[in-house]
Amino acid sequence: MLDAPDGGGYRSRMRPAPAFPEIAVVDLQVCDRCGLCLPLCPPEAIHLDLTDLVVDRTACTGCRKCIAPCPVGALTMVAA
Amino acid sequence: MHSPLPRRRAHDGRRVTHDTDVLVIGAGPAGAVAAWEAKRAAPELEVVLLERDPRVGTPVRCAEGVGDAGVREFADPDGAAWAARKITRVVFIAPDDTEVKVAERDVGWILDRTRFDAFLADRAVAVGAELRVSTEAAGMTCEPDGRWRVRLRGAGGEATCRARVVIGTDGVEAMVGRWAGLETRVPARDMESCAQYLVEGIDFDPDAIYLQFGAGIAPGGYAWLFPKSPGVANVGLGLVALKADARNARQYLDAWIARRYPGGAKTACTVGGVIVHTTIRQTYTDGVVVAGDAAHMINPLSGGGIVNAMKAGRLAGCVAAAAVRAGDTSASRLSAYHAEWMALLGDDHLKYYRLKRALEDLDDQFFNSLARTANAIPSGKRTLGRIFAHALVRHPQLIPVAARFFI
Repeated sequence: MLDAPDGGGYRSRMRPAPAFPEIAVVDLQVCDRCGLCLPLCPPEAIHLDLTDLVVDRTACTGCRKCIAPCPVGALTMVAA
Repeated sequence: MHSPLPRRRAHDGRRVTHDTDVLVIGAGPAGAVAAWEAKRAAPELEVVLLERDPRVGTPVRCAEGVGDAGVREFADPDGAAWAARKITRVVFIAPDDTEVKVAERDVGWILDRTRFDAFLADRAVAVGAELRVSTEAAGMTCEPDGRWRVRLRGAGGEATCRARVVIGTDGVEAMVGRWAGLETRVPARDMESCAQYLVEGIDFDPDAIYLQFGAGIAPGGYAWLFPKSPGVANVGLGLVALKADARNARQYLDAWIARRYPGGAKTACTVGGVIVHTTIRQTYTDGVVVAGDAAHMINPLSGGGIVNAMKAGRLAGCVAAAAVRAGDTSASRLSAYHAEWMALLGDDHLKYYRLKRALEDLDDQFFNSLARTANAIPSGKRTLGRIFAHALVRHPQLIPVAARFFI
């Protein structure tokens, strides 16, 4: 894989890409199901499933773009 | 010419396949108006309106303010049960709490969105659209004949619906556009994170809306008070997380309410995202159009989207109905919807977006001094136009901002 397009690439063109060290998880006790994070996710790894928010573990790249915008702080990063 | 489809209902265990002409996904203002207009334009077509929640109009994720002229295009707010409050004044509050009262007439209305959305959906049902609540679209695929096969999920299990045209009015989450292969993602700097409480027992002018700016209050956005009745108001704010400190939108709002309305009782809390971007590059593809928040049709300067959504819903409903009637639901036919929207408001949003980006460079000190300039104008003559004219003379840093609006 190539460097991340936003230039934050810790991945090298020379070495195989390591697994993403962190991915986003949602706390459904806190999440209000507003859907704000869905269009923010570059790999479109977040969707609503019968109104519950789901983060696709295999698609999340750990870019953190969904973390700060959550109005209630329901998304956090955890070790993948 | 369109020939009516056989109304096939193939019972396959618990799965039911149902054919329709137009399937509208999401019964907010855009979807309800789209269903209504499609059915009015072509009464012989079958129009189905889907709503995920058990009731149209809940939960409300909205500050509920609309302009007077805009809402009147669709319904008369005078005396309507869905109009909570008429607004005749706007009060801008500078970061240092200097208030600027702007004299306007018939500014707008604060809606009761629960009732308003139900009113719009009822109107669509009254002309023959079929409303299905507690039903969510779970995915869709295009069939070889050009129709879309939409997987539905609800209390009664799974079902499939095949539609000649799907109208995606599913709001900020915009899954219909995603399934159809449209680009619906938003850069983080153009996403406002919003939180709002219904606050009771506070003192304000019930005929005015209040808007406060400030990097420490709502960075990249503004805080608002929209009256619902005397002493009761929607109090909220929207901010851009990239410009914020470690706090989230609700924490910013708690701090603002504690400072400005310490005696208020916070009741219902709601949160949500407002996309302050420009219309997505393509709002249509073969057999699909998207409208409203789902297509980023929000005024990027004000964050208002209700009237825009209804206007887009009207265009989408009419174009979809005409396309089905003509037997041509291809992307090239449906592109007329995109062109009509851009001419109506989409091109204006490009200008507003440039203006928004230019205003982002101005700091709190500027807005504080702008407030003093505005307050030097006699209160009866203090209209937005005069404030702007005075401000251009007194604050030359606004000239390049204004220029961005026109070029």
